[in-house]
Amino acid sequence: MMTGLGATVVRAGRRLLSSLPALFGVLVFTFLLMRVLPGDPAVFFASGPNAGKEEIEQIRKQMGLDKSVPEQLVFYLSDIGRGNLGRSMMTGQPVLKDLRERLPASLELTFTALLIALIAAVPLGVVAALKPGSLVDHGVRLFCALGVCVPTFVSGLLLIYAFYYLLGLAPDPTGRIDVFTSLPPQRTGFLSIDFLLAGDIEGWWAACKQLILPALSMALFVIAPLARITRASMLVSLGSDFVRTARSVGLSWRKVVVTYALRNAILPVITIAGIVFSTMLGANVLVEKVFSWPGVASYALDALLSSDYAPVQGFVLLMAGIFVLVNLVVDICYGIADPRVSIG
Amino acid sequence: MRFVSFRSASSVLATTALLLVATAPSQAQTRAETLRYVTGASVNTLDPNIPGSTRESFALSMSTYDRLVAFGRKQLNGKWVFDLDKITGELAESYDVSPDGLKLTFRLRKDAKFQDGSPVTAEDVKWSLDRCVTAPILGKAQLLTGSLTSADQFKVIDPLTIEVTLPKPDKLALPNLATVYPLIINSKVAKEHATPEDPWATAWLKEHTAGSGAYVIESFKPGEQVIIKRNEDWNRGSPDKPAFFKRVIVQSVPEPATRANLVERGDADLVVDLQASDVQSLEAKGKLKVVSTPQYNSITFVSMNNQIPPFDNVNVRRAIAFALPYEDMFKAALFGRGAPLFGATWPDGKPLNGIYPFQAPVKTDLDKAREYLKAAGLPEGFSTTFSFNVGQASTAEPMAALVKESLAKIGIKVDIQKLPDAQMSTQINEKKLPLFTEGIVAWLPSTDYFYRNFYTGNQRWNYSSINHPELATIAQEARFEPDKAKYEEDGRKLNAIHFSEMPQIPLWQPNQDAVMASSIEGYTYEFHRQVDYRDVSRK
Repeated sequence: MMTGLGATVVRAGRRLLSSLPALFGVLVFTFLLMRVLPGDPAVFFASGPNAGKEEIEQIRKQMGLDKSVPEQLVFYLSDIGRGNLGRSMMTGQPVLKDLRERLPASLELTFTALLIALIAAVPLGVVAALKPGSLVDHGVRLFCALGVCVPTFVSGLLLIYAFYYLLGLAPDPTGRIDVFTSLPPQRTGFLSIDFLLAGDIEGWWAACKQLILPALSMALFVIAPLARITRASMLVSLGSDFVRTARSVGLSWRKVVVTYALRNAILPVITIAGIVFSTMLGANVLVEKVFSWPGVASYALDALLSSDYAPVQGFVLLMAGIFVLVNLVVDICYGIADPRVSIG
Repeated sequence: MRFVSFRSASSVLATTALLLVATAPSQAQTRAETLRYVTGASVNTLDPNIPGSTRESFALSMSTYDRLVAFGRKQLNGKWVFDLDKITGELAESYDVSPDGLKLTFRLRKDAKFQDGSPVTAEDVKWSLDRCVTAPILGKAQLLTGSLTSADQFKVIDPLTIEVTLPKPDKLALPNLATVYPLIINSKVAKEHATPEDPWATAWLKEHTAGSGAYVIESFKPGEQVIIKRNEDWNRGSPDKPAFFKRVIVQSVPEPATRANLVERGDADLVVDLQASDVQSLEAKGKLKVVSTPQYNSITFVSMNNQIPPFDNVNVRRAIAFALPYEDMFKAALFGRGAPLFGATWPDGKPLNGIYPFQAPVKTDLDKAREYLKAAGLPEGFSTTFSFNVGQASTAEPMAALVKESLAKIGIKVDIQKLPDAQMSTQINEKKLPLFTEGIVAWLPSTDYFYRNFYTGNQRWNYSSINHPELATIAQEARFEPDKAKYEEDGRKLNAIHFSEMPQIPLWQPNQDAVMASSIEGYTYEFHRQVDYRDVSRK
């Protein structure tokens, strides 16, 4: 057991090391990309009614843009080496601080959305697989198509219109918590967990209510891939020998479907879920915008629009890091679950 | 039924109260002393002097800091707007202007205190004004427009008196001291946080305040929200009492439809930057108070680059001026919410007065436009681009389509360019755009100020890149013209040149539509086009 764990750690370490060149590549690529994009951030930020040449130069200097690109790159890399991601012109804060404050908001939203999506998608996929070609199967297909073809900001606005504006069931769709609620002491950064840790059930419920609509509109969008992959892998699983054997020895329907078929079918679903998670984290810009959610994606978009280099670079690096981590976790899980899968 | 949890973090008395309320209006009652203001942008610095600061930051600083003087207010068509000509004391109890106009003397209030309890002294005022003209901050360029350029101009006479000396009598010196930038800072506190590289504590003041204003920062989350609480000792408001609201929440809500929903449901009290279509429907429903004030210090225009062909030809510029579909653009972009600057009649072909912005005698007249094109030697028309920035897409996009359609009728092929904001400002700065739409605002809207800043020099704000020596000379002279009648005459001349040269085409002054709960009173249109939280109260 000890050796198994040790081997996993060594493998994980080696895997992390081998991802460093990729991260470095992302770093340099984003840096260059930002500088190739048209638009001079100094001019943009010097937009006061009297900001002239002098102010523009000053901002350029402040952002380090007065130096040549190779010089800038060297400074940038040495800053990164010291854990400094630079300062955002937009918020006026260090990028690291901004990201640290905003990442939990995005993670909480994405995890919740993924959870909702899985809870909905797996049963849908299973039901569809049990009677392929039936009315139920077509119904599931229709539902998935609807979810995928309605963009998240449309479903978000519709949900707000129905549940907040018309029915008044949902709290106002601004941010992670009602502005009149005081925040719990920050431990994990996940409000739903922090409130529980602080023993504040009321606050917990307020945070959860705030979370439902944005998570739902994000979940709707990703139910389709999850349900489709569940259906496909359930079909394979249901048609396989062990299910036939289980059926033939007279096991209950429930036991056959849930214990034998689904358990074997779930692995690819988890793989897809990992990928979906990484994509969602970066792609939920529109949901974050619509719900004024203080997450990293909307932060990066604002920065991109105003050519604020540091936050965009920081965001891309963060996303690359998360992607590496998610892959690592998936690989390790595979390695543990099935020793034949070797990594590194 | 909705649960609303309401808590005051600061007060010991206010224990958690779970309020069960059925409808939005009664919920508003429970938080009558809090103003919730929602906006699309966000406060990004607590010192408005920092390059890149947003308008929301300007408004916030008006409440957290005092200035020496403030603008008064007046009624314009039944709506309160700031009054450029009435300057009242804020930290100054009174002020004198010497007969030759070269000396301004300010006597400070004896009872004025900073938020840390220490008295406001002339030393603090000097330090703050010195900072404004010396440090590499935005105030420098602004105060320049009022002949305030050097620290030598500010002299402490005694602990409660400060004197400002001017090289020339400048009408804009005093009003400049009422703008956003020359805020009065607690110099002792600021100096404690100054460093050799940053002697004016710009880094520290970006995230902290050391002022004497009506509100104190309670929490500041850049990009999300700022909560400020009332400074009970503040008495610089008109009726000698602290501001009305105990707390103000300034919250960023990027989605305009959501801002509209929030204010309609009664969850937000006040919003100024809704889409014109939403304002119209909210006004039609009649539940909320809508105060629409034409932004009389701002102009939306179509600009042409007077230096690049074919727009270097005045007849081409005139052709465009008579080919724009003004009425349709006004309706499509703003739903007619604003003051048009087109369609005037000048009886004898001369400007009606010397005020800028003026309503120009232009209207859609395609035959006239064709004649001008012919006179320019381009009867067949030409091809060009029409640019606008993404940030203004909601109004500029429908406009652009109409411009394209209308110009096509006289043979001008237009390619629409929608540029990201940073790219647009870069192109404007480099004078690369031939035809585009933009908007400008002047804090101190006097005729000479507009002409000097927006129609002269090789600088960014000269959008049309016009180079007209006579215009530049008159605008310069008008600045120091003490004689009102002569100033008016200068203004008429400038407006006449503008119309004949047509460097750019003023379109309209958009409305500032402030939508608020019916219980909110006292809203005033301010020069910074945001809400001054000290103005408003709840019935």
